[in-house]
Amino acid sequence: MATSRRDLLPGTLDMLVLKTLSVQSMHGYAIARHIERVSNDVLSIEEGSLYPALQRMRQKGWVKAEWRQTPNNQRARYYTITAAGRKQLGAEETGFADLLGAIGRVMGTA
Amino acid sequence: MRELLVRFVDWFRRDRLEAELRDELRFHRSALERDAASAAVPGASGRRLGRDTRTIEDSRERWSIPWLDHLHQDIRYALRGLRRAPGFAFGVIVTLALGIGANAAMFGVVDRLMFRPYPMLRDPASVNRVYLQWAERGEVSTATWSAYTRYLDLQKWTTSLASFAAFFPGNAAVGSGETTMERPIAAVSASYFDFFDTRPALGRFFTAAEDVTPVGAPVVVLSNGFWQGEFGGRDVIGQSLQVNNLSYTIVGVAPPGFTGVTEGSPRSLYIPITTFAGNQTGPDGTGYYRDYGWGWMETMVRRKPGVSAEQASTDLTNAFARSWRAERDMEPQLPAVEVARPRAIAGALKSSAGPDPGLDARTALWVTGVASIVLLIACANVANLFLGRALRRRREVALRLALGVSRRRLAAQSLTESLVLSLLGCLFGLVVAQWSGQLLSGLFLPVGTSFSLVADGRTLAVAIAAALVAAVLTGVVPAIVATKADLADALKVGARAGTYGRSRTRTALLVAQGALSVVLLVGAGLFVQSLDNVRQMRMGFDVDPILFVRRELRGMELTDSQRVALRRQLLETAQAIPEVEYAAYVNSVPFWSSSSTRLFVSGIDSVARLGRFTYQTATAAYFATMGTRILRGRAFTADDRDGAPPVTVVSQDMANALWPGKEALGQCIRVGADSMPCTTVVGIAENAVQNSLTDTQLFRYYMPMEQFRPASGIGLMLRMRGSASAQAEGVRKALQRVMPGQSYVVAQPLGTLIDRHRRSWQMGATMFLAFGALALTVAAIGLYAVIGYNVAQRMHELGVRIALGAQRKDVVRLVVGEGMGFALAGAAVGGTLALLAAGWVQPLLFRQSARDPLVYTAVAVILVLVAALASAVPAMRATRADPNRALRAE
Repeated sequence: MATSRRDLLPGTLDMLVLKTLSVQSMHGYAIARHIERVSNDVLSIEEGSLYPALQRMRQKGWVKAEWRQTPNNQRARYYTITAAGRKQLGAEETGFADLLGAIGRVMGTA
Repeated sequence: MRELLVRFVDWFRRDRLEAELRDELRFHRSALERDAASAAVPGASGRRLGRDTRTIEDSRERWSIPWLDHLHQDIRYALRGLRRAPGFAFGVIVTLALGIGANAAMFGVVDRLMFRPYPMLRDPASVNRVYLQWAERGEVSTATWSAYTRYLDLQKWTTSLASFAAFFPGNAAVGSGETTMERPIAAVSASYFDFFDTRPALGRFFTAAEDVTPVGAPVVVLSNGFWQGEFGGRDVIGQSLQVNNLSYTIVGVAPPGFTGVTEGSPRSLYIPITTFAGNQTGPDGTGYYRDYGWGWMETMVRRKPGVSAEQASTDLTNAFARSWRAERDMEPQLPAVEVARPRAIAGALKSSAGPDPGLDARTALWVTGVASIVLLIACANVANLFLGRALRRRREVALRLALGVSRRRLAAQSLTESLVLSLLGCLFGLVVAQWSGQLLSGLFLPVGTSFSLVADGRTLAVAIAAALVAAVLTGVVPAIVATKADLADALKVGARAGTYGRSRTRTALLVAQGALSVVLLVGAGLFVQSLDNVRQMRMGFDVDPILFVRRELRGMELTDSQRVALRRQLLETAQAIPEVEYAAYVNSVPFWSSSSTRLFVSGIDSVARLGRFTYQTATAAYFATMGTRILRGRAFTADDRDGAPPVTVVSQDMANALWPGKEALGQCIRVGADSMPCTTVVGIAENAVQNSLTDTQLFRYYMPMEQFRPASGIGLMLRMRGSASAQAEGVRKALQRVMPGQSYVVAQPLGTLIDRHRRSWQMGATMFLAFGALALTVAAIGLYAVIGYNVAQRMHELGVRIALGAQRKDVVRLVVGEGMGFALAGAAVGGTLALLAAGWVQPLLFRQSARDPLVYTAVAVILVLVAALASAVPAMRATRADPNRALRAE
């Protein structure tokens, strides 16, 4: 369902979001900013793909959402990773490592 | 799974979710703008703002479920349509409510009567009641009762059964002194309680050691209701309670809701069956476990695992045959096994579902069939209404099709509409069912059976199933019509249907309704006639003025002379009551008990082979009391006392059977033994029924009580001036005063004993009549609607006819003729169907042919009259067709 962006490997958005949330609860904007900052702006997260992905992950029970006050006293929806989300993150990380290794081996032997 | 559930929940709060997302995006944008302005994020300024709409669209997919959306739309569409046509909606919902309600109520009754397992019974599928069958004078008798000795035999000689239990539901005087009341009790074997998954609420159930031959221990287990009602739920263990003539120790209280396997009113208490039997006076109490003379108790068995009911029946049959031989060794006059062909059946625990269900249960099943026919008629009617609407909506439908709505979607909409209506109908139907169910259960079910739909999942399920069936039946036809619509044609013809075309489907539905109504009305006619025949039937005695007063000695030991003295005292007291016209003491009562003994007549080898001869001993005023007519000779009088030559009065049938073509008066019969002196026939009485209204052999003889067993007799027959039932209590009080010790009298009108036997016809007549009238009304409304619709369609044509000189009466004849045509077709089809079913109803009727042409003709006339009435209103409207308008439109 996640609309794939040319600057994002297909299917990795969930993993990136979950990884980000595994550090601490954040609102959507912070998630996008975090990923962009950590990746040195190589990865850009559009809200057009972020929010539908968050809805999907909420329905799957990987994240919980609740409205809280930001430090600037604004209302924002904060997302928190759940136990099921952590399990999912582990599985995706393993799968992704396998994939990277495989690609690396192919590229290395070429 | 979880995800599905979340999505489902999200679907219901999708509006809130969307609003929240908008808030979230607003926050996102404001944060982005702030960061861009402060330039805290390098490059953020160049980023364009995401388009909210797109994001929301994409997210919305996460909380939409397409089919649910469609359903939601369809239901709203249906409800809107119904609000626009409240009359239509009302008609449909009421019709369906009646149909569904009738079915739910009847199912509730039949289910309780035949199928529902007893509460707390463990593994009901492996439990059977034992039915015994044998041939008697060429006819197979089926019995649920047997001698206790037989029960022991079956237990001894079978191998396929895990356990046996014996039970006997009876009445007993419970309590002592003022509080004594006759209550329903059950005498059961100790093994009875092991059939249930239950523990006593207090104390214990009785044990096998307390249930032993010849006499069990005087212990009693109270029912929960009796315990609460009489003892207020106190600890009563160890207290004593008098039941009949014996004091019992209370050892336990059954849990709430425990009913055992008793059919009929709930039991107040349970005593060991051997205690009950062993304390009977006379030969019954000493021989009940050794001989076969007293057939009284009922048996249930649990099959061993893996044993089928057929295998158990075979096993039981072999044991029964062996037991029969054992009985024949004691009673040589019993027919041989080869003649009697004894057979045992491990059948349904409820005797209504057993091999010989009785008229009541069979009539109940028929009435259930009738209820489903009513539902069919209701469905046909509703389908017809829908169809009429679909035809009126042709243009709208064509338009929507032209605009690109898929035909599937249209059909789904039409089905949704009928589903919504059916479920609304179901809702009101449950109200109907709850209300009528109470009436019905009073008619069909034993007293004390609760009938509450609220706590009844099975009946609810049936009501909902009926609603779904109705939805499909009523929705399918209009759905097909909707999808079959010819686009171009409908759009072209437009709002004014210039040509009048009959819908073949509608015609068929109408004729079907008429036909089914005819079937029900014929049934109603047959049952009403049967009931009338039963009521008109001369029983051989009067019923209404007679009061039967039974005296219960409660186990008191009286000598013969004391008994005779009590009888005389009761008679004198009764005759002193001003309302009592005549009084007689009797030893048997129609529909209550009968007596027979061996009978010898010179010239006849075996009188018993001719049939069953029952006798009545009574005091002198018997014939005057009962109103039994003496056809020839004389009734016995006070002069026929002990010492005078013994005399008898015989029934007409008996006289014809014993002395065909000869004068019966003056003949000699010997009663009890060959060596007895002659009892001379001095009178011939009209035939009188004894045990059943359908008895064909009415062989009965009457003897003066002073001459034959003067100490016998069970009570009084009183002929009252005025209503017997109103005076029962007064008479009881007056007679109770002369009863010694703890003995008592019970007074009841003779009519109440007979009502039970009239009940199946009463039921059949009431129910068929109610459902038949319902069906006819529904069919008439349907006819009215269709004719009305046709007239509206034909207004133009009728106008032209009037312009061309047609008279009012011509137009009326045209329209009413159409309605009568439907009725005649319905009557023909329905009459044929009823004739085909006649063979099956015949056994339920009383002296009434199921093919009685009078009933059929009457029903056809009624249908045609109702059809004429239903089409008269639209016909009057037709005469007002305006010729000017018709011509101008041309």
